[in-house]
Amino acid sequence: MKKTLLVAGLASMLSTTAMAENVGVSMALFDDNFLTVLRNGMTDYAATLDGVNVQVEDAGNDVGKQLDQVKNFIASGVDAIVVNPVDTSATQAISDAAAAANVPLVYVNREPVNVDTLPDSQAYVASNDIESGTLQTKEVCRLLKEAGKTEANILVIMGELSNQAAVVRTKDIHDVIATDECSFMKIVDEQTSNWQRDQAANLMTNWLSSGVQFDAVIANNDESAVGAIQSMKAAGVGMEDVVVAGIDATQDALAAMAAGDLDVTVFQDAAGQGQGALDAALKLAKGEAVEQKVYIPFQLVTPDNMQDFMAKN
Amino acid sequence: MAVSAVSARTDSQSRPVRPPEMNVFIGLLVIALVFEALGWLFIGQSFVFNLQRLQIIILQVSIVGIIAIGVTQVIITGGIDLSSGSIVGATAMIAMSFAQSSDYARAVYPALTDLPVIVPILVALVIGGLAGSINGALIAYTKIPPFIATLGMMVAARGVAKWYTKGQPVSFPTESYAWIGAGLNPVIIFLVLALLFHLALKYTVYGNHTYAIGSNQQAARVSGIRVERHLVMVYAIAGMLAGIAALVLSSKNVTAQAGMGMMYELDAIAMAVIGGVSLAGGRGSVVGTALGMLIFGVIISGFTFLRIDAYYQEMIKGVIIVAAVVADVARQQRRAKAV
Repeated sequence: MKKTLLVAGLASMLSTTAMAENVGVSMALFDDNFLTVLRNGMTDYAATLDGVNVQVEDAGNDVGKQLDQVKNFIASGVDAIVVNPVDTSATQAISDAAAAANVPLVYVNREPVNVDTLPDSQAYVASNDIESGTLQTKEVCRLLKEAGKTEANILVIMGELSNQAAVVRTKDIHDVIATDECSFMKIVDEQTSNWQRDQAANLMTNWLSSGVQFDAVIANNDESAVGAIQSMKAAGVGMEDVVVAGIDATQDALAAMAAGDLDVTVFQDAAGQGQGALDAALKLAKGEAVEQKVYIPFQLVTPDNMQDFMAKN
Repeated sequence: MAVSAVSARTDSQSRPVRPPEMNVFIGLLVIALVFEALGWLFIGQSFVFNLQRLQIIILQVSIVGIIAIGVTQVIITGGIDLSSGSIVGATAMIAMSFAQSSDYARAVYPALTDLPVIVPILVALVIGGLAGSINGALIAYTKIPPFIATLGMMVAARGVAKWYTKGQPVSFPTESYAWIGAGLNPVIIFLVLALLFHLALKYTVYGNHTYAIGSNQQAARVSGIRVERHLVMVYAIAGMLAGIAALVLSSKNVTAQAGMGMMYELDAIAMAVIGGVSLAGGRGSVVGTALGMLIFGVIISGFTFLRIDAYYQEMIKGVIIVAAVVADVARQQRRAKAV
């Protein structure tokens, strides 16, 4: 039924724009702020191009469903496919399916496990996650030094434990702390909030009730940082004494930064990634060569430059 | 009902019978004491005697607790509600869009900012109540199993939550809206609602009918209860409670997101089941569910208190849920044999 509808939908689109390039997009999930900005970046960009049709589907965080969507795209004869992988270790099957059908494929935002063995007709567009956690932690280190700390306790709020970005960003924190210049920092506890603001807020209150002493909170994402801030303020913790860092530069995070509560965040250019992925897909569809790894850089956001990012996410 | 009254009398000849809630309460005390002991052993401080911790133990579960009050009533009728988490997501998005402050330039409805706080509250009650009524009507009149009807609503309501703003979060509410879930208000709202429905279930016709339908639907119908109408009412109330939870949650977090309330339905069901509400229907109470909720709160805080590795926490939580029900079932069987 769904397949018939999809084919019917594509057929009607084809009849209106005969020479159109059709690109099928499978997103890991729709209800994620960042991925929504990325998705909108892609569709907004497609709207500015002549004769480009983008069909976006929601894989609902289901690996099996995503592979079916890719196969459906192939069966309906799209010119290229963009995949935002649900599970970065399950991408080999997706690559194989697309390669067998000779349909160009671009992975976006999450690094596929087979990134180094992709065939020529496939590419990967993202930001390098190692940059984000590193930029974030180095800035925290700098701020703590500036405040004259010779010893600093750090609380880490991780994202979803099974998620690649959470794993890499957390490892970045450890790696920066392992360097000589930042070795005065010490992680006192490390827990997960599953990227959720509410869980981060509860976690912070639990920490505060245990009497943990800390100088900085480093969160894998902004939602978690904002949640921690809400609990600290509710408990009367002086926000000027604590360095709080997130990643994503969301609207809510920038508002917290403007209020003087959030000290550090990192901007990942979601819309830029969406646009870059579509560009790569269209080039591959036309038979042009593209770089196999396209990195859209992260940018550090602090109160000094936050104005530049207000309208971006 | 008659059977249990007889068994209670027979049992009381040998030893006084404990209400099932008492067992849950003892379970709660045991778990708290284990954390207390481990706390002195490994952390060097008390787990229980800490006002701030006692507050967060209740605060962090009271929003799911509000949902669990409705889920308890649904389960007592012999049904189940899988849709409450998704109703929270959809209702939070829609209600928050009528609660945005004019200070924010990118409101969902730029012409409808700074509305009085009663508007989003009514919106939440209506949306939640509507979703619940649809559940109830499907179950009562099309006779499809509650599992399927509410599964459909779970998927559809999550779809509404994502579609409403195309996945964008809705933030920056007015100050009066942000007040609803501030501080310990979620706990107070939970307590008021729990008391209200405890009394309703125990002392009103509404409560009698709810238990009667869950014990034996056919007998309830024969005795003149309008089963269909009552079921719609129970599910509508559960939906409305999910709507209230959405208000409190989005206000507490000062944001509404499409993924909000994810898996809350399962936590709410687990709280009720740990609290002695029988999935077979006809048995259970709001007091039991509230105690089940506190067990959840104690476990979450206890884990962070002991700094248990994040990777182990969910595994232990799963074991505790199953263990609580196994203990309950074993106790039921012993009692049945004793009679």
